[in-house]
Amino acid sequence: MASISLHNVCLDYPLYGAYDFSLKRRLLGHLIREKGEMRIIRAVDNVTIEAEAGARIGLAGPNGSGKSTLLRLIAGVYPPSSGRVAIKGNVVPLLGLNAGVNLDFIAEDNIALLLRISGRKPTRTVIDEIWAFTELEERMQRLPLRMFSSGMLMRVLFATATAFPADILLLDEWLSVVDEHFAEKAERRLQNLVSQAAIVIIASHDQPLLRRTCTSIINLDHGRIASTVAVEPPSPLSFELREKRA
Amino acid sequence: MQHTSSPPRRPSVLHIFKIYYPDLFGGTLTVIRDICASLKDTFASAVLTCSQSADRREIIVNDVPVERVLSFGNVMSLPAAPAYPWRLWKKIAEHDLLALHAPFPLADLVFALGFGRNRPLVVHWHADIVTHAGLRWFIEPLMRRTLRRAKAIIVSDRVLVDETPLLREFEDKCHVVPFGIDTSVYDWPKIEPHHVNDRGRLVLGCGRLVPYKGYDVLIRAAVNRKFEVWIIGEGAERPRLEQLISELGLGDRVRLLGSVSDCERIKLMCVADVFVMPSITNAETFGLSQLEAMAAGRPVVNTALDTAVPRVARHGMEAITVPPGDAEKLGEAIDALISDPERRRRMGLSARTRAVSRYSATAFREGMESVYRAAVTAPSNEAAPVAEAPQPTGWLDSLRIAAALAWSDMRHRYVRSLIGPFWMSLQMAIVVAVLGSVIGQMSNADMMSRLPMLALSMTAWTFLNSVVLDATTALQNSASLIRDRALQPVIFLLQCTFRQGLFALHNACVPLLLWLLLTPHDLSGALAALPGLSLFVICTFGLSLVLGALATRYRDLKPIIESTLMLAFLASPVIWSADMINHRSTVMRLNPLTHLFAVWREPLAGGHVDATSIVYVLVAVALLLCASVLTLVHLRKAAFWI
Repeated sequence: MASISLHNVCLDYPLYGAYDFSLKRRLLGHLIREKGEMRIIRAVDNVTIEAEAGARIGLAGPNGSGKSTLLRLIAGVYPPSSGRVAIKGNVVPLLGLNAGVNLDFIAEDNIALLLRISGRKPTRTVIDEIWAFTELEERMQRLPLRMFSSGMLMRVLFATATAFPADILLLDEWLSVVDEHFAEKAERRLQNLVSQAAIVIIASHDQPLLRRTCTSIINLDHGRIASTVAVEPPSPLSFELREKRA
Repeated sequence: MQHTSSPPRRPSVLHIFKIYYPDLFGGTLTVIRDICASLKDTFASAVLTCSQSADRREIIVNDVPVERVLSFGNVMSLPAAPAYPWRLWKKIAEHDLLALHAPFPLADLVFALGFGRNRPLVVHWHADIVTHAGLRWFIEPLMRRTLRRAKAIIVSDRVLVDETPLLREFEDKCHVVPFGIDTSVYDWPKIEPHHVNDRGRLVLGCGRLVPYKGYDVLIRAAVNRKFEVWIIGEGAERPRLEQLISELGLGDRVRLLGSVSDCERIKLMCVADVFVMPSITNAETFGLSQLEAMAAGRPVVNTALDTAVPRVARHGMEAITVPPGDAEKLGEAIDALISDPERRRRMGLSARTRAVSRYSATAFREGMESVYRAAVTAPSNEAAPVAEAPQPTGWLDSLRIAAALAWSDMRHRYVRSLIGPFWMSLQMAIVVAVLGSVIGQMSNADMMSRLPMLALSMTAWTFLNSVVLDATTALQNSASLIRDRALQPVIFLLQCTFRQGLFALHNACVPLLLWLLLTPHDLSGALAALPGLSLFVICTFGLSLVLGALATRYRDLKPIIESTLMLAFLASPVIWSADMINHRSTVMRLNPLTHLFAVWREPLAGGHVDATSIVYVLVAVALLLCASVLTLVHLRKAAFWI
C-alpha cells in the first residue's frame, strides 16, 4: 500500500558560490583560518504531510516557495536535513519534462531509453502505443529528436512519461507546458493516470486545475506550510445553490 | 493480596566510554557510575568500555554489567582497541538509548559511519579535545556528525556551551545538568575530633595523575613553603612527579597517596585544611573532586579556566582562583588560607552550603532522568528511510539502468558512423604501430613479440584513463536525470565504467589480432590473468567513483586529475616494461599502477606475480573500498552539487 509520511521535515539547501566549488580555496581557507561560511537557505521548513492511498495533494505557492524542492525531497533526490521521511510505494517523479533526452538519438531509441530508465521493458507494442498517442506520422519515429519542433517533442515526451501508471506520482507544472492543440487529450490522459495512481502530488500555479484534480491543497510560503485547504468535491447541488443566491 | 504484576520493563541505556572501573578512578567515571546507580529504578544501565587487562571480558561493577573490549595500550590518549567499533555496533541493537561520554573519537567513528541511526543518542559532553589539539581537523567533523544526530547534549555548566564553538552550533540541543553528589556522606557529625588535623597545614589534591591536572605546578608551589601536600590518584605521570619531588627535595612534605578507597577519600577530604585543583587546561571542565571537597566543607584553590571550574567554587566565596600554571600564585593562595583559620572556616562553610543547595544528587538525578526519558520517547528524528526506500530495488536496478545507458551510448557511436567505436581501435592500432617501431629502435629486444602485450597494455590504460576522465564530468552531464527523474548519482558513474568497458572490448581486437599473427598460441596464461584483470577493473571503478564524486564537488580537481593521469601514464610501465630499464626505480616500485598492471600482465606473459604486487593491489582495493563507502554516503548530497 502506498503512503507518504513526512514528519517535521526540514531541508537546508546549501548555496554553493563559485568559490565553494574550489578545493584549493577551501584548503587555503583552512590554512589561513578563514572562516568558511557556507550560505544555506531553508528550502523546506518543518513540513509535516501524511498521505494515504487515494490522496490527491496540490502544492500551491509563489515562485521559490519550495514546491519543487519538496517534490524532489519526496522523490529522494535531496536528503532531508532533519525530520523523518517514510515513503512506501513506487515513486514516479515527472519533474522536468525533457530529462534524459538525447536530441541526437532517433525518437524510437529515446522512448526505449526513457522506458528503461523508469524500469520498463520497451517492447515493440509499447512503443507503438506511445507513438499512436502522439498522433505523429509513423516515419518520424526514425528521425532524430533534433528534427522535431518543440511541440512535437513535448508530445513524444509526455506520451512516454505517462504511458505507465504509478503508485506515487509527482508532477511539477505539467499541464501548463503541454501545447494547446494537444492539451485536452493530455489532460484527459493525466486525469486517467491520476485516477489510477494511489497518491498524486501536483505542484502548480494553476488554481482551477488544482481544484479540479486534488482533494486538498497545501499552500507553501518560504518552505513552510502556510495553510492546508480541503477541496470540496464539486457537486451539482452546490452549483444550484450558488446560482440561486446570485 | 498477591503481587502478580511484574514491574514494567525498564528501558536500557548503554554507556559508551573509553575506560571504566576497576581499571581506573576519576571524575568522569564517578559520574557514569552515579548515573547508573541513581537511575537504576527507571533505566537498566550497561557499560561498554576498553580495558588492557585481558582476563575477563564481562564483569559486574556495582550491579551494572560492564563489557570490556581488549585494548593494546593507549595511542594519543585513545585506547587502541580495534574490536571496539564492531562490539559497539553489535551492542547498539540491544539497547533503547545510547549515552556517549565524549570525547571518545573511536565511538564517533561508528556513529559517523551511520551505524546505530535508529537508536536515540545522548551525548554527555565531559570535555573538549585539548591535549592532542593537532588531531582536531580530523576528529572535529566526526564529533560534529555525532552531535548532529544526538537527541540531547548534556553539559555540566552553561559556560561550556558558550566557550566551545562546536557546542554552540548545537545550542538548542544542550541541556545543563550540573553534577551532583550525595552530600550526606560528608556530614559533620561523622568527622570525629581525632580525625582533625590540628597542625592546620594539610593541602589535598585529588585526581588522576595525568598532565592536564597540573600536579607538577602544585609540587613546585610547595617549594619554600610550610604546608604539606597529599595527592590522591594514580596515573602515567607518577614517575615524573616522583622524580620532580625528589629533585626539589620535597620528599618529607609532598606525598603521592595513589588510589584510595571511597571511604578513605572521604575521610581525607574531611581532614584536609585546603583543597587544591591545580588543573592547567580546559580538559578539566567541572572538577568533581572540588565539589566533593566543598561538600566536606573545605576551602578550595582552583584555576581560572574557561570551564565550569571557577564557577563551581567561586573566587572569594568558596575558593581562591589563580591563573592556571602559575606555581608562585598558587603557593601564595594556599599560604593565605593556611595562615588564616577564620577565613578557612568561613569559606568552608559557604562551600558546604553551595554543594548542598546547588549541586545535590537529587537535582542531578532528576535532570538526567528527564533528558533520558525525553530522548527515549522522542520519535526517531533521523533522516534515514529515504535512502532505504529505493534500496530494495536498489542495486540491481542501478546496474541495469547503467548498463542500458552505456549500451545506448555505444549504439549511438554506430549510428554516427558505420564502424562506430572501431575508429578508436583503428587509431590505437596506429599508435601501437608507431610506438612499437620507436621502442624497437631504442631497445634492441625483439619488438615483434612484444607488440601484442604493448597493444593490450595500451587498451587497459585507455580504459582506466577514460573511465576516470569520464567520471569527472558524468554527474554534471546527467544533472537533469538526477534532479528530475530521481535517478541515483552512482548510476552515472557506473555508466562510465560500462561504456568504456564496451569500448575496451572493441579496442581489444587490436591486441587479439596481433597475438594471433605474431606469437605462438598458448591459452594457459589467459585464465591465470583473469583474477588480476578483474582486480584491475574493480580498482578502476573504485577510482572513478571516488574521483568522480570529488571532481563534481570540487570543480578545480578535474585539471589536476587530468595532469596526474598523464604523469601516471609516463611513470608506469605501460608502453615500456620493467625489464627494459636496467633496475627497478623507486618511483616505479612505489607506483601502485605498476603493480596493478603486473597482477594480470605477468601471468599472461607466463611468469608469476610478485607477492608484493598482490599485497600492494589488495591494500589499494581495500583503501578504495573504504573511500567508496564514504563516497556513496556523501553521494546522497550530489544533487546539491550539480
